Amino acid sequence: MKWLLITSALLYVASIRRPIFVAALGCSLAYLASRGMGLGRLPLIGPQDTLAFFSGALGLMGLPFIYSRQTAGVRWFCWGCGALAGLFAALALPFPTINMPLPPILDTYWFELHVALAFFAYALFGIAALLGVAFLQGGGKPALDLQYRAALVGYSFFSLSMVAGGIWGYYAWGTYWLWTAKELWTSILWIFYSLYLHLRLKGQAWERGFAWLGIVGFLVTLFTYLGVSMLMRSSHSF
Amino acid sequence: MLKAIYFRLTSLNLGLWLMTGVMVTLALGSFSSASSEQGGLNDMPLLFWLQRAPLGYSWWLWLCVACIAVLFVNALICSIDALRRKGRSVAPHLMHAGFLLIVLAHLLSAYGGLKQQMQLPQGDSFSFPDGERAVVESITGQVGPMGMMSGYRAELRLSDGLHAVQPNQPFFHKGYGIYVKDVALSPVPVALFEVHKEPGALTAFIGALLFTVGNLMLLAQRKGR
Repeated sequence: MKWLLITSALLYVASIRRPIFVAALGCSLAYLASRGMGLGRLPLIGPQDTLAFFSGALGLMGLPFIYSRQTAGVRWFCWGCGALAGLFAALALPFPTINMPLPPILDTYWFELHVALAFFAYALFGIAALLGVAFLQGGGKPALDLQYRAALVGYSFFSLSMVAGGIWGYYAWGTYWLWTAKELWTSILWIFYSLYLHLRLKGQAWERGFAWLGIVGFLVTLFTYLGVSMLMRSSHSF
Repeated sequence: MLKAIYFRLTSLNLGLWLMTGVMVTLALGSFSSASSEQGGLNDMPLLFWLQRAPLGYSWWLWLCVACIAVLFVNALICSIDALRRKGRSVAPHLMHAGFLLIVLAHLLSAYGGLKQQMQLPQGDSFSFPDGERAVVESITGQVGPMGMMSGYRAELRLSDGLHAVQPNQPFFHKGYGIYVKDVALSPVPVALFEVHKEPGALTAFIGALLFTVGNLMLLAQRKGR
């Protein structure tokens, strides 16, 4: 079923119109569903599955934003969301699929909830970054308001993901917190968006800074997801 | 002078700088060998580790703890100050309360936590810190199609009967959690057990609940704005 992932990547990159984006999302979700049915669980183990899941999450979370009236004036926004989702679908392609059953320690709903919510949050942080670019390019206040909403909902998903991870860790490892690079960067990401949400209280003078912070946040997100797994040793590495 | 300190402590700018401080120290720490799996930081309660580790190894964590301590006071005073004024939403302050409880939970675990690892064959026994003995009655496991363990469990006999322990399903006894981490079935069944005490767990859970309730309230308030 890898052709579904290839098709979704191609359609995402070509999504200059919303129906193409929806078709790409359909292929992406169909691919994830086929993987999930084959494995009997959510496909969340290994770089191939997590990158494909991230791509699907970007499409799913991007959908309400590309249909929002507030982004109607930003002509490239639909393509931007598609290109981002397509990039991660394409990055997933070279990696082999891992078809083994879940190790006993990962075989719990808390783990699946923890990882799935984290990817929904990452996706919303990605969309917030695109909306930050839209604002800086003259998209006006509506783009910045949407960026705030995307980041706030993403922050909520991320907080819930941390709670689920803490509960899983307590039942699996005996502690809700471990001092590893992944946990440290997860905390950095959470504090970063806490800072971002507090910065809004500073008012209009900080609007450009706020938009930039939304963009930098996605870079922190990418380092937390990919950088830590590739550059540092951690129990969270895939 | 006290008023000036109070205003400084309620300042949003101070909170933003402290959050930056926590992020920078954690980022530096993530590249330190102390936070690696061999760094020993996860093998003992944090305060014991901080007392024993050389400063050249643990400086980033001291700085981080200092920033969090002041951030704790900043968030607490900021919430009290805001709630004294009428008409303010309680949602952000519930989130603050959740954060404060989670910091307290870490402090409780950093002081009173415990982790002990032991490898025991079937039939062997161990004692809890309160003196009660647990005998490893049985160790079983299933090997999956790829040769890896697809499931395993151990049964422990205590004075009140038989208790099963398996991955994600520890057995709790008077504040101690018993976890089975790994199992080998041959030449004789052996299991790797860990005994944990995490005194901050309940406080962290209550903090997480408060934070989540506040977060959901905030989302509901922001909806449609």
